[in-house]
Amino acid sequence: MNFQVATMLSDILKSLFKRPITENYPYERRSTPDRLRGQLAWNPEKCTGCNLCSKDCPSNAIEVITIDRKAKRFVMEYHADRCTYCAQCVQNCRFDCLSLSHEHWELAALSKQPFNMYYGKAEDVQTHRKKLAESKMPKPDPVTA
Amino acid sequence: MEIIQPIITLLFFPAGLFVMGNGLAYLWVDRKLVAQYQNRIGPRWFQPLADVVKLLSKEEIVPTGIEAWLFNGLPLLALACALTAAVYVPLVGLQPAWSFQGDLIVTVYLLSVVTMSLALAGANTANRFSLIGAVRTLTQLFSYEAPFMLALLGPALVAGSWQISTINAFTGQHWLILTQPIGCVVALVGLMGKLELPPFDAPEAETEIVKGALTEYGGRGLALFQLAKAVELVVGLTLIAAFYLGGIGNPIEFFVKTLAILLVLAGLQSLFARFRIEQTAKWWRFAALLLLVQWLIIALLGGKTL
Amino acid sequence: MLALEKFIVPIGPQHPALKEPGHFEFAVDGETVTSVNVRLGYVHRGIEKATEDRNWAQNLYLLERICGICSHTHALCYSLGVEALAEVTAPPRAQVIRSLVAELERVHSHFLWLGVAAHEGGFDTLFMYSWRDRETIMDVLEGLTGNRVNYSANVLGGVKFDVDEKQRAAIQRGVDYLEERTHHYYKVVTTDSTFIRRTRGVGTLTTAQAEHVGVIGPMARASGIARDVRVDAPYAAYNLFPVNVVVETAGDLEARFVVRLKELLESYRLIREMVDNLPPGDLTVRMPRKVKEGEAISRIEAPRGEAFYFIKSNGGEKPERVKVRTPSLCNFMSIIATAPGHQLADMPMILAGIDPCFSCNDR
Repeated sequence: MNFQVATMLSDILKSLFKRPITENYPYERRSTPDRLRGQLAWNPEKCTGCNLCSKDCPSNAIEVITIDRKAKRFVMEYHADRCTYCAQCVQNCRFDCLSLSHEHWELAALSKQPFNMYYGKAEDVQTHRKKLAESKMPKPDPVTA
Repeated sequence: MEIIQPIITLLFFPAGLFVMGNGLAYLWVDRKLVAQYQNRIGPRWFQPLADVVKLLSKEEIVPTGIEAWLFNGLPLLALACALTAAVYVPLVGLQPAWSFQGDLIVTVYLLSVVTMSLALAGANTANRFSLIGAVRTLTQLFSYEAPFMLALLGPALVAGSWQISTINAFTGQHWLILTQPIGCVVALVGLMGKLELPPFDAPEAETEIVKGALTEYGGRGLALFQLAKAVELVVGLTLIAAFYLGGIGNPIEFFVKTLAILLVLAGLQSLFARFRIEQTAKWWRFAALLLLVQWLIIALLGGKTL
Repeated sequence: MLALEKFIVPIGPQHPALKEPGHFEFAVDGETVTSVNVRLGYVHRGIEKATEDRNWAQNLYLLERICGICSHTHALCYSLGVEALAEVTAPPRAQVIRSLVAELERVHSHFLWLGVAAHEGGFDTLFMYSWRDRETIMDVLEGLTGNRVNYSANVLGGVKFDVDEKQRAAIQRGVDYLEERTHHYYKVVTTDSTFIRRTRGVGTLTTAQAEHVGVIGPMARASGIARDVRVDAPYAAYNLFPVNVVVETAGDLEARFVVRLKELLESYRLIREMVDNLPPGDLTVRMPRKVKEGEAISRIEAPRGEAFYFIKSNGGEKPERVKVRTPSLCNFMSIIATAPGHQLADMPMILAGIDPCFSCNDR
């Protein structure tokens, strides 16, 4: 039987003259991998409003609101706080409208407001917001609805 | 003026506040070194101090069904003993503030009282982890105390004195680490056992018994015990540096030598898996035997010539 | 009368030794443990019931979140079950990528275990170094799948992503480094005398005991039972890439270390073979939204042992019942079998030795 003590001596001596491996985030950053799954991005040009993305979303983070189906006017409401970044919606989309960004992933915020994002053409979002304000009804929670 | 001088010595420098600050700084150095050995960053310089300040400002919750005065008094006793022990050692390379024939025995005894009050504090509470921790603390105390004492008496034997300042003066010309290497190693490891540092941290092994004897302490008591440990660290390092590393004559020597020991101590802490309590006891029996052999050799060779 | 009373040391549900909640009552006589009582179920989240409320695709991600360490295991086991029910087979390239991620996950899980077990034994240096090296595999997984923990590699009917040249190089680089480190750690846990004194002869589970209490996974293999779903009932791509089962006979903690570290080396071999021999072809096949009525059982070898899924469909968009049995449940019994007679100080290591996963276990 081998009788040895201090088998990690070489490790600790090497470390004594080395910088710690710990990265001092957020002061030190390294680039994120291309495949990192961050905030959802949506391309309204190609969307047909088929709702396949929201159907399979495990956390009901996506709502596609149709303003005018024929004119292809859609607004997407994206709840980043609910999103689990699983990319099932990207997988489901047949028109490649959806993607998860690998650059926007630091989404922490102090209130819930920034997590409610409206995607779409500016005029469509305007219309949708106006409608919401007009209805004055509290928007039903998609989880319970 | 004759009254003011001792008060300053006792309360501020080199004993009192200074030794507490020094202890906390050394605790930080120790943690930082262990972190460096483990390729981590480690805490920032004020962390031990911040911990103590935070704990001091917290409410102390006294558990029911125990002797409240003991619960509150034992941390004070521990800190008082550690601070008293600091008075007899050559801190910062200065002459010890007080000194008399036989103060080595008193210092070692006072350091033991720190551990004793830790064990009592554990045994005083009804917490199961505390009770096991107290039993383990005492077991460890009995196992390391004899070899540690013997290791400190080795230099005393060759110096022919029981007085720390005399021994310090003697070792100034003799590097006893060369002639009594076993004693030096045992004293170093004994200090680790005393301070319950890994791998001898069975009495406060967090994965088994949470915080050992101190599990019930949360505020002031814990802070005082930590301060006592910090002072104990400085006293122990000073003693070893003075006895085995060629004495301490000036502040530079003090800091260089104690920090050098701390470097080795931190390395030893990060090299081993934790000993079970009965393994610790076995280890110390072996160390005590080795030391007796070394004593025999010293005695045969006529002591002083070494 | 006093002598009859037991001194019970509770470990958990809140205790520094266990990072997850589980309750263990150790009756001790001095430092020696005389009996053990286990209580589980503190992290029951009702996931099985929740699956009945979600469609087949949504459940994939819910079940993936049963466990943070073996997330791919759950997703894979569920996908295989659902695909069997729907009579769909994922294309060969997807199968190999699934196995590849599974092996990478095994590497990360065993490294994590190595660190945790060392920490329970008070060997924090080994803990820090093994977790430092674990970051390598986490980075590989992040680069490959886009996430460090919940990889979401599976979709029903295939996988989401391909392995290209860049990924291949990254995987090989990571595996080369880790192989070297694994040999080093193997040397540490088998030769370091302070560590061996905490592991050798501790928590010994004989082959007969192991059969009796029905342990699985690395625990069984450390006790001399060659039981591995990857070999006994190959799934995904394991019939293309056969696994050599690592078996040790000692049954003590050291054997568990040895088995897991040798399994790491075996995983590196498999990973290398897989990335070098990826079959060409599609990544997904079409999956119907409604799954045919019926029942399916799927078993796969998780890092901790055999994971078992029972899935029942009534022909709709949602499952009627999903039952999950994870490996930890089978292994808890071994604590009761092995702990009495040991020192209290050995308990955390014996607990960690089975690599318990309470969140898997309670769901």
